[in-house]
Parts: sequence; structure tokens; C-alpha cells
Amino acid sequence: MAGMAAFGLQSRLLAITALVLSTCLGAVAWLLDRSFKSAVRASAQQELQATAHGILSAAQEHDDGLVFAASEPLLQQPDSNRYALVDAAGQGVLWRSPSAVASGINFAMPLLGRRPAPGESVFAKGRADRFVFAYTVIWEPFNAETTIWVVTEWAPYRRRIATFRRDIAVGLFGTAAFFVLVQFGAVRWGFAPVRRMVARLRALEEGARVDVGADYPRELASLARNINHFVVHERDSRKRYRRAMDDLAHSLKTPLAVLKNASRDGDAIVREQVERMENTVAYQLSRAAAMPPALSTAATAVVPVIARVTRGLQRAYVEKDVAVRAPWQDADAAAANACVVRVEEGDLLELLGNLIENAFKYTRSQVRIAVAETPAGVATVIEDDGHGIPANKRELVLKRGARADAGTDGQGIGLAVVVELANAHGGRLWIDASADLGGAAVGLVLPSARRASTGKRPLERRRSRARAPRQ
Amino acid sequence: MRLLVVEDEALLAAQIDKFLRDQGFMVDVASDGEEGLYYAREYNHDAAVVDLGLPKLDGISLIKTLRQERVNVPVLILTARAGWRDKVLGLESGADDYLAKPFHMEELHARVRVLIRRAGGYASAVLECGPLRLDTASKAVRVNDTAVELTAFEYRILEHLVLNATRVVSKAELSERLYAHDDDRDSNVLEVLVGRLRRKLDPGGALDPIRTVRGQGYRFALAPRRSLSAPTGIE
Repeated sequence: MAGMAAFGLQSRLLAITALVLSTCLGAVAWLLDRSFKSAVRASAQQELQATAHGILSAAQEHDDGLVFAASEPLLQQPDSNRYALVDAAGQGVLWRSPSAVASGINFAMPLLGRRPAPGESVFAKGRADRFVFAYTVIWEPFNAETTIWVVTEWAPYRRRIATFRRDIAVGLFGTAAFFVLVQFGAVRWGFAPVRRMVARLRALEEGARVDVGADYPRELASLARNINHFVVHERDSRKRYRRAMDDLAHSLKTPLAVLKNASRDGDAIVREQVERMENTVAYQLSRAAAMPPALSTAATAVVPVIARVTRGLQRAYVEKDVAVRAPWQDADAAAANACVVRVEEGDLLELLGNLIENAFKYTRSQVRIAVAETPAGVATVIEDDGHGIPANKRELVLKRGARADAGTDGQGIGLAVVVELANAHGGRLWIDASADLGGAAVGLVLPSARRASTGKRPLERRRSRARAPRQ
Repeated sequence: MRLLVVEDEALLAAQIDKFLRDQGFMVDVASDGEEGLYYAREYNHDAAVVDLGLPKLDGISLIKTLRQERVNVPVLILTARAGWRDKVLGLESGADDYLAKPFHMEELHARVRVLIRRAGGYASAVLECGPLRLDTASKAVRVNDTAVELTAFEYRILEHLVLNATRVVSKAELSERLYAHDDDRDSNVLEVLVGRLRRKLDPGGALDPIRTVRGQGYRFALAPRRSLSAPTGIE
């Protein structure tokens, strides 16, 4: 459907935007995350290194060796997450920071896989999710490799990273949402003329408009112009065609009438041939006049057309005194009155006129007409209490409409016209026996013009008709 | 019976004219709508046959104009386009029946007869007034089941009177049904014909079916058995 295509364009644009946006923002998030993590690690290293240097510079020499002291407040507070200890090769642990002692943390040595070489400093992840900075010196008078270990739990740093990640995610998702919204608005705004054109095309199909208008941006203006031109052209051609068909009918049938009357008492061959010409002309003319519905066809209510035809027929058949039970007398009159079909009024008059006239012709005294909305379309059923049509003839009567050489009597032509016209409109005709009245029951299903119905729109009907081989 | 035929195709009009004259009708032929309107206003017709595709004034407008002017002559429309739009428009404008071209003259004749009968309010082809039975199809007349032999002129007078039973029919109106409009009309001849008709229908003088209304004309006095209300005119 036309509306779906426009929606398709919009969603395509939105999908591309979303894809690009998520790729870019994802890359940004990954880079930010990486650099923040290394920054946190570097700052941790700096802090631990500063603490180690502080301990070294605060160390004092005594006679029996080195004496260490807490060089900063963090090393004295319990649970300060800054712990230090000093050991020397072959001498074991020389000192523990008060923070480690008070926290009851007992470090298992060595804290890293190895003791750093003299003069070397190492920053690495140790056991139990701790980061360790280690620095080894050789203290001259004692001549032993003395190592300062500064330890920190990694959890607080990880929490900082997690917070940062959350902040980034919120920020980036917010940005993405904002961009998508802006893009959505832009697409809506950009496609507004297309949607306008689509809505007007639908109104045009329903006969509510005569063109799609001209108020479109540059890119669509020429398309709109072409559509308008096409619509006008189609309307004019149909009008011209109908007029030509009318004139042709008039100019063929009047001389035929003269011929027919002139040959009344003449040669039987002439009479027969005139009769044959008459039927061929009548049939072929109505066949040619059976056009598919116009691009722009207003919805026609079925019941008023039935009323007009029935009133006219009751006037013409006044002495037959036919009792008609019409849809507006039914209990379900409101539903019948709501039935609308996408068929021009003239064509609907032709369809129902022929069918109801047949009923009037062949009935004894009763005709019943019912209209209802069905899944297949609007169904009109016309029943009478005449002789009916035998089951084995029904198919033949209907098929006559599809055969070019058809129609040998006037009555058959009327039905053939109906079949032809119903097919052209995507409708269907069927014949059955009337269960209640005992005569014929003729049903005509035409595509409903109601919005809610899933019936095909005129354009699609035309397309499918062009493709489908005629049965 | 006097008919109006409005048909622009000269040959067809001539054929219809000849056929209907052969059936005993007086026929006025008009070749366009305006002429048809003139005839319809000027003369009192029993029925009109109107083609829809007419020059100057189309058939539907002609019928509408007539109905607006309260000319209630029954109208049969001829359509070349078998289209139902034309039929319905024609019937809605006030026509009483339709016939699609090409048609059989017999069909046209039968339809016209039905229209005339219907306009008189008779549903059947046999008009019944008291003991009188008038079969419009066979033109046979019976009184109390006894056949009455009538001449063509006498039959025409009787049929018109029966179709207009209980209404006063002027001598001029009756003459119009006996003679074409340009023929010489002699009211004495009419009186003689009516006198003969009275004697044939009512030899005993008991029924007195045709009354003379002094200075106005004649009135058919037997009560008709009608089953239709007059259907012509605008509803």
C-alpha cells in the first residue's frame, strides 16, 4: 500500500541513523573506558610510589639497624587502604605500617612473584586483588637488599571505574536518544509532503478529491503535476469514451430498428441476420462499455440505487402488482443502508437494473432484495417466485458473459452485461434457487468501499485484473 | 385513440406512424422535442411514444415539462442506449414505461395499449363496465355475454368513452380520436355514430350507457370495474 512505502522510507532512514550512531558512540565509549582505566592505574602507581619514597626518606639509621616510621597519616589509620611493609633479604620483615597492624592484615611474603632487583621499582597486581608497589635499595652500612612494599586494595579503584562507566553510559545513551529524536523529527518533517501526497491520493481514489494539489516542495512538484495531469486525462478519456459509446449505440441501434421493422414481412434470412446483428451489437456495445472502475471513484451507496430501480420498475410493471420486499424494510435496514461499493453510480444502476428487471420479468408476484456487508464485499441478493433457473443451466447463463459470440436472446444479454461489468469491478455473480420464494436467487458481490474493509483499492484491482487471465 | 410519436429518425418515425395507423390509431409525429411539446400541449393524446435522444429538447426534459404542466398523458420512452441510467431517469421524470431500440412493432403496440388501459385505471386488457365487456386486444365487445358487432369508428368512440368512464368527454375530444387534426370535422357525423352505438349496445333502452351532457359532450354512465389508481403524472 502507498502509506506503507512512505513509512518504509522513514524507517530506513531511522535505521541507518541508529546504526551509525550506535557504532560511533560504542567506539567512543570503548576509548574513554580504556584511557580512564589506565589513568586510574597510573595515579594509583604514583600514589604508592610517593608513599614508598616517603617511607625511605623517613627511615633513620640506628646502631642496630634501620628504624622505619609512618611517613604519612594514611599509614597510621586502620583500614586506610594504604599499607606498607619493609623487609630485607635474609632478615625477614623489618617493619609494618600501623595501618596494616591495626587492620589485622597479615601479608604473606613475598607479595609479588619476586623481589625487585636493587634500584628497580615494580608496580603490579598481586594476590587477593591487591596492587603492590615494590622498591628495593641496598642500604650501605648494612649492605642488605631492603625492599619497601606498599599495598593497596584494588576495590575502591574499581568502584571509581564502574562509576565512570555508568556516567559515560548515561551520557552517551542520552546523546543517542536525543539524536534519534532529532532525526525522527527531521524525517517526519522532511517526509510531510510525501505523506500529504499519499493521503490526497487516497482521497482521490475515494472520489473525495479531484487532484493531489500543487503545494509540494521542488523535488515532488513535477511528480504531483504528472499525477494531476494523469488524473485529468483519465477522467476526460473516460468521459469521451462513454460519450462515444453512447453515440455509437444510438447511431447503430436506430438504423437497426428501421431495418428490423422494414424486414418484418420480408425474407426470413434477412430477418434472422438483422436479429443476429442486433444481439451482437447490443452485447458488444455493453461489453465495450464495461470498464474497470476509474482511478477516482466515489463510494456509491447500494440501497438508494435499488430504491430508484425498484420505483422505476414498479411504475413500468404496475399491472403485474409485484410485491417487493426491499432492504429498507428489513430489520437490519441500518446495516443495509451503510453498504457502499466502489462502483460508479451509472455502472451500479446498470448492474442492479438488469438483475432486478429480470426478477420483475420472471416473478409471479414476489421479489425480495437483500443487501449485506460480507467478508468478500457487499452482497446483494435478489430472489423471486418465478420458475427459477435450472441448476444445469446456471453455469451456462453466467459463462455467456465471458464468451464473445454469446447471447442469442435479449434476456441473456442483460445477464451477460452484468457478468462483464461485475468482473471489471472485481465483483462476482452467482445464481441459486431461492429457498423461501421458490424462484431464482441471483447474488452480486461487489468490493466494499468501506475503509475498514480489506478490499483491494482500485489501483491494485486494476493491476491484478491486468495480470489475471480471464476465466 | 390518438397518439403522439416523438422520434427524430424520419424513417423510424414513418414506420411507427404507419404501423400504429394500421392498428387504428390517430398518430401525430413530431421530429424534435420542441415540436413534440407543441403537439402535446395542443392536442389531447391517449399516449405518447418519446425517443430520449432528441434534437432541440431532449426526451427527459420534454417529459418533465409535460408533467410540470400537468399534462398526464402516459409516456413510453424509447432508448437507444440500453443504459439503465437513461431508463431510470426517464421513469423518474414521469415516463410510464420504456422500450429499448431496436424493438418489434408488435411490442411497441402492446406496450402502448397497456399504457392507455392503465391510464384509464384498468388492470386487465378486458375492460368491464356493468354488463359491458370490451376486449381491447381483440377489439371484441359483449353486452351480457352477447357479442356486439361494431365498426372501427364505433369501437374507437366506445373504447375512449369506457377508458374515460364517468367523466364527461367533449365532442371535440372524441373527434380528435376519429380524425387526423387537419381533416374536416363534422359534429353531425359524431352524433350519428354515437346514436348508432347506443342502439347497438342497448337495443332495449334499459341501460342507457352513453348519456348526453347538454353543451358539454358525452358521459359513459356504467360503473367501471377498475383495479388500478391512475398511475400517470408526477408522484
